[in-house]
Amino acid sequence: MTTGTRDWHADPELLSRYLTGALNALTASSVEHHVNRCETCRTAVGSLLEPQLVERTWAGIRDSVERPPLPQPLRFARRCGLPEPTAVLLAAAASLRGAWLVGAFLSLSFATLAAYASGGTALAPFLLAAPLAPVLGVAAAYGPRQDPLEVLVATAPYGRTRLILLRTLAVLVSVLPVTVLLGLAVPGPLWLAAAWLGPALALVPVLLAVAAFVGPRFAAALVSFVWSGVVLGSAWLPLAPTWPVEAAQQGVYLGLGVAACAVIVIRAGTDRQPGVAL
Amino acid sequence: MSAVELAGVGKRYGRVRALADVDLAFDCGVTGLLGPNGAGKTTLLRIVATSIAADSGEVRLLGRDPHRSQADVTAVRRELGYLPQELGYPSDMTAFGFLEYVAVLKEWNDRERRSQEVRRVLEAVGLADQATVRISRLSGGQRRRVGLAQALLGDPRLVVLDEPTTGLDPAQRADLRRTLSALGRRSTVLLSTHQTEDVAALCERVVVLAGGTVRFDGAVTDLVATAVGRVWLANEPGEDALVSWRTGTGRHHVVGGTPPVGADPAEPTLEDAYLLMLGHDAHRVHSPS
Amino acid sequence: MGTTPIVTDAALVAAVADGDMSALRELYARHGAWLHARLLRRCNDRDVVVEVVQDTFVALWQDARRFRHEGEVGAWLWGIAFRRMVSRLRRRKDVVLLPEWDVPSVRQHVLPSAEDQVLLGVEYGDLAAGLRRLSPEFRAVVQAVVLDGLTTKEAGRLLGVRENTVKTRLHRAKAQLRTALTEREEGWP
Repeated sequence: MTTGTRDWHADPELLSRYLTGALNALTASSVEHHVNRCETCRTAVGSLLEPQLVERTWAGIRDSVERPPLPQPLRFARRCGLPEPTAVLLAAAASLRGAWLVGAFLSLSFATLAAYASGGTALAPFLLAAPLAPVLGVAAAYGPRQDPLEVLVATAPYGRTRLILLRTLAVLVSVLPVTVLLGLAVPGPLWLAAAWLGPALALVPVLLAVAAFVGPRFAAALVSFVWSGVVLGSAWLPLAPTWPVEAAQQGVYLGLGVAACAVIVIRAGTDRQPGVAL
Repeated sequence: MSAVELAGVGKRYGRVRALADVDLAFDCGVTGLLGPNGAGKTTLLRIVATSIAADSGEVRLLGRDPHRSQADVTAVRRELGYLPQELGYPSDMTAFGFLEYVAVLKEWNDRERRSQEVRRVLEAVGLADQATVRISRLSGGQRRRVGLAQALLGDPRLVVLDEPTTGLDPAQRADLRRTLSALGRRSTVLLSTHQTEDVAALCERVVVLAGGTVRFDGAVTDLVATAVGRVWLANEPGEDALVSWRTGTGRHHVVGGTPPVGADPAEPTLEDAYLLMLGHDAHRVHSPS
Repeated sequence: MGTTPIVTDAALVAAVADGDMSALRELYARHGAWLHARLLRRCNDRDVVVEVVQDTFVALWQDARRFRHEGEVGAWLWGIAFRRMVSRLRRRKDVVLLPEWDVPSVRQHVLPSAEDQVLLGVEYGDLAAGLRRLSPEFRAVVQAVVLDGLTTKEAGRLLGVRENTVKTRLHRAKAQLRTALTEREEGWP
C-alpha cells in the first residue's frame, strides 16, 4: 500500500471487533484514538450498530428538545401530582410563571413591611394589595374573547369557561397561602391575617362576572378602582384601619361574592353556545 | 344530509347587515368562498366554526344544531379545525409548544400521541425543522402555516380556513393545495380567499358572496362557463368594458362591455367570470394576474 | 465540477445555539453512533448508555453557546458523555467499566493485521508488556486519566480513592513504564 497514514481507515472487520469487545484494551484505545479524528470511520461505525438503538436514543433527544420546559412553579406542581395536560394548559398563562409570582410576592412583602413598620396603623397598603393580587393574577391569565388566540380557545372542545376557571383556581392556589403567611406578620389582632380573604374571595368572582361582559382588562381596572376607593376612602375619612375588613363589611362582600357566582353559573350554563362565553 | 347546512341564515352587526338570507349546504370536498372585502365571507366562516351565532335562520353542523345544547356544540368542536383570519400567538411560544397547547385544548391528553400528532401536522405544512423556533422569530408566511397546522390537528371532518393563502409564496401555495386536496377527500373544507387562482386550482366548488348574499353557488367550471363569449383580446382597451388591462403580449384583455374592433374572443378564466359576476363591485377587487 | 460545501461541526454547534434542530440532528448523525460505541465498550447496560447519550445531546442543545471553538466537537461531546456516565454508575458495581487489558491467547483472527497495527500506532512488545506488568489499580488509573481524559479528581471519584492516591499511582505507573519503554508515546503527559 502506497497510501499514507492519513488515508488509512479501520476496516469493518476491525471496527466490529471493537464493538463486540474482542480487541484488547491497548488496540481498542488505538482504534478509538484514530476514529476520534476520522469522520469516515465514525460513519462506518454507524452502519455497524443496530439502527433501532440509535433511533431510540434520537427519539428521546427529540422529545426532550421539542417540548418546551414547564415553568418552575408548574414543574413543582407536577411533582405534587398535577396531571400533564392540565400543566400544559396552565403553562400558557402568564401569571403562573415565576416572574409574575415573584413580583406579586415582592409587592405583598412591601405592603406587609409597611404595616409592620407602622405598628398597625398603616394597614391600607396591605389591605389594598392582598385582595388585589389574586384579582390581577386571574385577569392576567386570560384575554378578552375577541383576542385572536382566545378565538381558538373558544372554538375548542375543552371550553373557554373551563379553562378560565382552571387558571383562576391555579392563581388562587399559588397566591393565597403565601399571602396568609405574610398576613401573620401584620401587627394587630390575629384574625387580620385572614380577614383580607373575605374581599379577595369576593372580588375574584366579581371580576369574572364583570369580565364576561366587558373583558378581563377593563374588569380588572374597574374592580381595582372600586376596591382602592373603599380602602383609601376609609383611611381618608378616617375610619379605623381595620374598617374595610370588619364584620359588617364582610357580610357585604359575602353577598357580592354569592351574587357574582350566581351570574357566572348562569352564564357558564350557556357558555358553549357560539357567541356567548365567559 | 350534508355536513354543513345553512338555511336562511342572517347576521347583523349593529346597523350593518353582514349576511342576509343565506342558503348553502356543504359536503366532502374543498369549497372556495370568493368575494370582496365586506362580503360576509369571514362572518359566514365564523358561524360555521361556532365562533359566533347567527341572528336568524337555521344552522346544522355535522348533523347537529350548535344552539341546542352544550353537548352538541362540544361534539361539533371535536371534529372542527378553524383558522381565523387573524391569529395571535403568545410571544414566547415555540411552534411546537403552541401546537401542543392547542392539541390539549382539543383533548389530546396522551403525551406521546399528542407529540406525534404535532409532528405530523408540522411535517404537513413543511415546518418540521422550525418546531423549536419561537413564533415571534418566524416570518409571516411561516406563522400562517403554524396557524394552518393547528387547524389540521386530528384530521377534523370540518375544516374552516379564513384566508389560508395570505403570505404564502407560490411554492408554499402549491404545497398547501396538495395538503388540502388530500384533506378534501375525507373532510369538508371551506376556505375563503381573494385569489381566484387558488380557487381555480384547488376547489371543485365555489361560492361567490357579495354584500352578504350568495351570487353564485356551484362548480368552478360552471362559473367559468358564464363568462364565455364575454371576454376578448383586442388591440385597444374597450370603452365600456367592465375591466380591461394590458397583457404581456401588448394586447389588451377586455372583460365585458361591447367588443372593440378587431377583438378576438379569449378563453375566459375564473377571474373573468368572477369579475363579471360582481359587476360594478369588480373595480375594488381586481388585481392583474 | 462543483464541490458541495461541507458544514463544519463547529458551524453546526453555532446553529444549534441558535435553536436549529436540524443542526442537532446532523450532529447526532455524525457523532451519535460513535458515542454509543465508546460508551458500550465501557458499560454493559444499554439503557444507561441510551440515557447518557440522550442527556449529552440535550446538554448540547441547552449549552451550545458555551462551546469554545478550540478542540473537536467529538471530544467535547465525549467529555460530557463520559462524565455523565461516571456519575451515574458510581454506585453500581455490577457494570463493567474497565476493559480487558490482557492480550488473549493468540488467535490470529483476533488481532489486527500487522500493517493495521503499525498504522494504528500499536506496537506490541514493550508497551504491552509494560502495561501488563502494572498492577490492576495502576492500570485503572492509567485508563481513566490518560485514555479517557478524566482529571485526577474525577478519576478519584470514579475509582473511589482520594485524588492524591490517583496522582501517586499515576506517577508510579509512569515511572514503571518509563523503564519498560525506550521512547515516549504520543499522548502521554
